[in-house]
Amino acid sequence: MIERTRTVNVVATGIMIAGILFILAPIVIAFLTATLSYEEFVSGGGIRLRVSDHFWENFAHVLFETRLPAQLWNSVVISLLVAFIKCAFAFTATFALVFYKSRLNTVIFAITIVTVMLPLELIVITTYQVVANVLMPINWLLGWTGLDALIERLTGSRPYLEYSLLDSYIGVAAPIATSSTSVFIYRQFFMSLPKDLPRAATMDGAGPIRFMIDILLPLSWTPLVATFMFWFIGGWTAYLWPLIAASTPDAQPAVVGLARLANTDPDRIPDVPMLMAGALFVSFIPVLLIGLMQRQIVRGLNLSEK
Amino acid sequence: MRQGFYSGGWTYTLLVAPILILIVIFFYIPVGLAFFWSFFLERPFGGGSDFVGFQNYARVLSDPEFWSAMRRTLVFMVLAPGLAIGISLILALAADRGLRLSSAARNIIIWPKAVAGASIGVVFVFIFDPFLGVFAPLNEAFPGVWNPRTDGNDAFATILVAQIWNGIPFNFIILLSGLQAIPDTLTKAAAMDGAGPWRRIRDIQLPLLTPQLFLTFVLEFVGTIVEAFGLIDTMTQGGPGGATTLLIYKIYVDGFKAYDLSGAATQTALLILFVGIMVLLQFRLEKHVKYER
Repeated sequence: MIERTRTVNVVATGIMIAGILFILAPIVIAFLTATLSYEEFVSGGGIRLRVSDHFWENFAHVLFETRLPAQLWNSVVISLLVAFIKCAFAFTATFALVFYKSRLNTVIFAITIVTVMLPLELIVITTYQVVANVLMPINWLLGWTGLDALIERLTGSRPYLEYSLLDSYIGVAAPIATSSTSVFIYRQFFMSLPKDLPRAATMDGAGPIRFMIDILLPLSWTPLVATFMFWFIGGWTAYLWPLIAASTPDAQPAVVGLARLANTDPDRIPDVPMLMAGALFVSFIPVLLIGLMQRQIVRGLNLSEK
Repeated sequence: MRQGFYSGGWTYTLLVAPILILIVIFFYIPVGLAFFWSFFLERPFGGGSDFVGFQNYARVLSDPEFWSAMRRTLVFMVLAPGLAIGISLILALAADRGLRLSSAARNIIIWPKAVAGASIGVVFVFIFDPFLGVFAPLNEAFPGVWNPRTDGNDAFATILVAQIWNGIPFNFIILLSGLQAIPDTLTKAAAMDGAGPWRRIRDIQLPLLTPQLFLTFVLEFVGTIVEAFGLIDTMTQGGPGGATTLLIYKIYVDGFKAYDLSGAATQTALLILFVGIMVLLQFRLEKHVKYER
């Protein structure tokens, strides 16, 4: 800065310290509490800012006596699926929208963008119905076209197709992946590329698909990696939908598992140290990801320009 | 929209088909079904539906619990984004000064983005516990001052604080990116002309930050309607006495605990309309937001 602004800098530093403390306080409290044994916790009367040496006991309890490790694996698979679907589907579609001449471009863009406005959590009631039987639309089609009556006359039974995706990885991941924010981000990025890129590729004998894979994909690495990590975190932190779509503990992701674990007998003081260890356990992968990769994520999402 | 280069029906169809199939099945059909069920009543023992016209709407709209949930949602929608964006803005303005602490602040303040609302809830419900948490000493001195288990306002405040903790990171990052994109020369020129830091914030940084502020409000408004669910479910279960039952939680309870499909779908339809109107209003407002720099 070109001026002397000591007081302002002191105030700014104070504000930042307050902000960092506010963000870190719950994490530190969770960590400190996770080092207590249950007896220490109960006799100490709750929050005490001191470190004890029972962290590994609590951690071992989480690892060997809860379902959280298996549910952590569910979270990994579901989050990878969400991130992959969101990136891959949006990438090919946005490529078509930006680099193809078509009258449908505007319509398809509008159809995908509406999904950004309405979060999945708003429509879980009926999404549940659809995922409980993804073949329902085919039944409607049979009904509207009168084909079901025809089949009934031929075979004697009215066809009713049923296939449930509840409790499956894809059933949990697919509805989360519908929000097509990626289309927005990729479109902005593609539009910033030189307009003559596909022309040059054609002169070198590359068709559209070749252009997409060999030229566009490497060029788009920064936004692709950023969005992939961001949607991975989004899939990991989803709660309401996985809570509904995965009813059995074996199918639930770790966040839902932790919440079920915390939901215990109200008459007894819960095993808070173990729960805090569990909360750290289900959060460390995405927090590490965002802590280590935040520069790439922020740059790739291109947040400085709207 | 810019005119593309390639043409060709088959490849075009194959490229856009996956995302269209996905969002038709898992987005448009559920939205359509919500409106369908809002006009129909499920038969008690399954198998079919009866058209009831606007009866579901009449039932929901005459239910005082719906209106109190709506009112709480509105209060929450004003308080949580307002506070989260306000605090983020102050933090971003401080971090933008490029001080020694700035890069640490940048890194740490984004962490809560990676923590699920439900996990935050599990930690915060303990932190705010009247007998075990941080306010336990206060309760020993003045019994009954703080008890989110029985006092509705206390419970609402705990949800609010947890939501703000969760909401700061993303707003902070968006606003900080916006501030850092403001050309250095502008700030320097203003400083040369004798504008102090406060004056520069008011006359240069805030006006040039309008697009980012707008973006944060758009994202936060819709976000807070749904994100509070994980907090409510793990911290208060809508209580005490319904004081933290926001509409999103009421819909969940009605649909999956009370099995009132039509009632839940009708409230969903109303919430969709409400969000739609909010989004439209925001885009009307956007026309007044300057984007050129």
